[in-house]
Amino acid sequence: MPAAIETHALARSFKGDVVAVAGIDLEVAEGEIYAFLGPNGAGKTTTVRMLTTLLAPTGGRASVAGHDVAGEADAVRRSIGVALQEAALDPLMTGRELMLLQATLHALPRAEGRRRAEALLERVDLADAADRRVGTYSGGMRRRLDLASALVHEPAVLFLDEPTTGLDPVSRLTIWEEVQKLNDAGTTVFLTTQYLEEADRLADRVGIIDRGTMAAEDTPAALKAGIRDPRLELTIADGGADRARDVLTRFGEVAPAADGRVSVSLGGGRGQVAAIVRALDDAGLMMDSLDVVEPTLDDVFVAKTGRGLDDQRAREQEQRERSGDEQLVVEPARQ
Amino acid sequence: MSGRIATVRALAFRGLNEVVRVPGAAIPSLLAPTIFLLGFVSMFGNLTELPGFTSDDFVSFVLPVMMLQGAGFTGAATGVNLARDIEQGWFDRLLASPAPRPVLLAGMIASASVRALLPTSVLLVVAFAIGADYPGVVGLLVALVFVAAFAALAAAWGIVLALRFKTQSAAPLMQAGTFMAVMFTTSYAPLELLTGWLRAVATVNPVTRVIEAVRQGFVAGEVSWALTWPGLVAVAGLGAVLVALALRGMARSGR
Repeated sequence: MPAAIETHALARSFKGDVVAVAGIDLEVAEGEIYAFLGPNGAGKTTTVRMLTTLLAPTGGRASVAGHDVAGEADAVRRSIGVALQEAALDPLMTGRELMLLQATLHALPRAEGRRRAEALLERVDLADAADRRVGTYSGGMRRRLDLASALVHEPAVLFLDEPTTGLDPVSRLTIWEEVQKLNDAGTTVFLTTQYLEEADRLADRVGIIDRGTMAAEDTPAALKAGIRDPRLELTIADGGADRARDVLTRFGEVAPAADGRVSVSLGGGRGQVAAIVRALDDAGLMMDSLDVVEPTLDDVFVAKTGRGLDDQRAREQEQRERSGDEQLVVEPARQ
Repeated sequence: MSGRIATVRALAFRGLNEVVRVPGAAIPSLLAPTIFLLGFVSMFGNLTELPGFTSDDFVSFVLPVMMLQGAGFTGAATGVNLARDIEQGWFDRLLASPAPRPVLLAGMIASASVRALLPTSVLLVVAFAIGADYPGVVGLLVALVFVAAFAALAAAWGIVLALRFKTQSAAPLMQAGTFMAVMFTTSYAPLELLTGWLRAVATVNPVTRVIEAVRQGFVAGEVSWALTWPGLVAVAGLGAVLVALALRGMARSGR
């Protein structure tokens, strides 16, 4: 199967020797949902901007839908749908006007553009609000409109840059469901996120990007399995904790857990739980609670990068990246 | 082809939203040229009595300058709006689409040309009311074509700067550029009465030719080819340079 997205040593630096992306190799298959996970400033947005032809690479190469992003930018643009961070929408336009403009930009015949605009507005539940100005929309409505506008030409590859950042849980769920449906219909999706849950829930494969390089890449399950075994966390009743530790040591590595609990690694998998419970029972120990704790992508992230997703240094890196890339942001004015 | 025209039209309409859907915000730029006209006529209305002044009616003489000044500011506003669109990410939406870059540029420029006709209409009504000479249908049409063309030039200038600086902070540069282009010409007196550096600048400034082309109908009451073609050449020349720079700026925007 041909790759929908392929990069080789893709790199981008900005003036002042700020290296935002330091050589990334990617291969996303057709029909895949690929999540780029990383803290602010890791290079996610810079990578997406290169893949969507908005930013020229300073090193390496990339192709999307079989076309080189530098040499065949127009062919790439015809194949991709793009919904960038913080939905850039014109507050003076109505939702329908935006959809029709997007159809026009993609040179769809008028009637066809209208038909698709209506269908998509219906699909993202904005039909009733279609003639209202975008300025009156909620955050969730804006993201849904932005997503719909990226679909008007039925792109083969959809790029979503932090599609749910700042959204409430219900709006987030709506976007996730929509992305899943699109993917079910065959659309390749490349999304960036700083939410582990989002990557875990949506992605077939996850790439962890940190300081412009790939720290790890695999399916969410494999990434989690690769760092450590699941653990059983127990609350032992009435001061039996010391004796419990002796019992648990027979099954795996024992460590204290939060709130005075004790945890043991399940090297033999979840099937060990029954045996552990029986052993504790035989020793006359009572349990108040027990939970199997799977490693999270957060654990993966810490294991691969040595720090958490909201690390302060990451934020500083982002500021450096922005000062190289973006411009001074001034209070918007209308002339 | 029809798809490209549709894109130009759609982008031009979007530019008009700023005027049509935020009426309050449009009033200053709509009325400014008229207010300037009234002020200038009151202050300098007697300049026509200077020996060598080529017109006996200062309102008719200075009206074309105000029309172009209004067009210049409308065009510069297109640049400021593009800078805002770049800052807020809207422009990415256009750049990530397969629409040809010259078509995107044409859409922005077209909105400036259409918008420029609004302040000019107000200006003309007031000018005729206070005694400007009617230039005839041809004279009026020629004037309006040049006003729309000058707004397009100013828009291209603003777009070049917006693409270069990517910030609304560049707004004064956009406005000052068009303002000086109109100012350092035969704007307030015939060339023969200008002295020193201003005379030298006005002589070579292509916008002088544009002003004279707009002015001919109001001052002479008729349109001549001799005063029209230099204006057309000036517009075409400036347009070629500015459009080339704007297209280069668009091509380099992701560099």
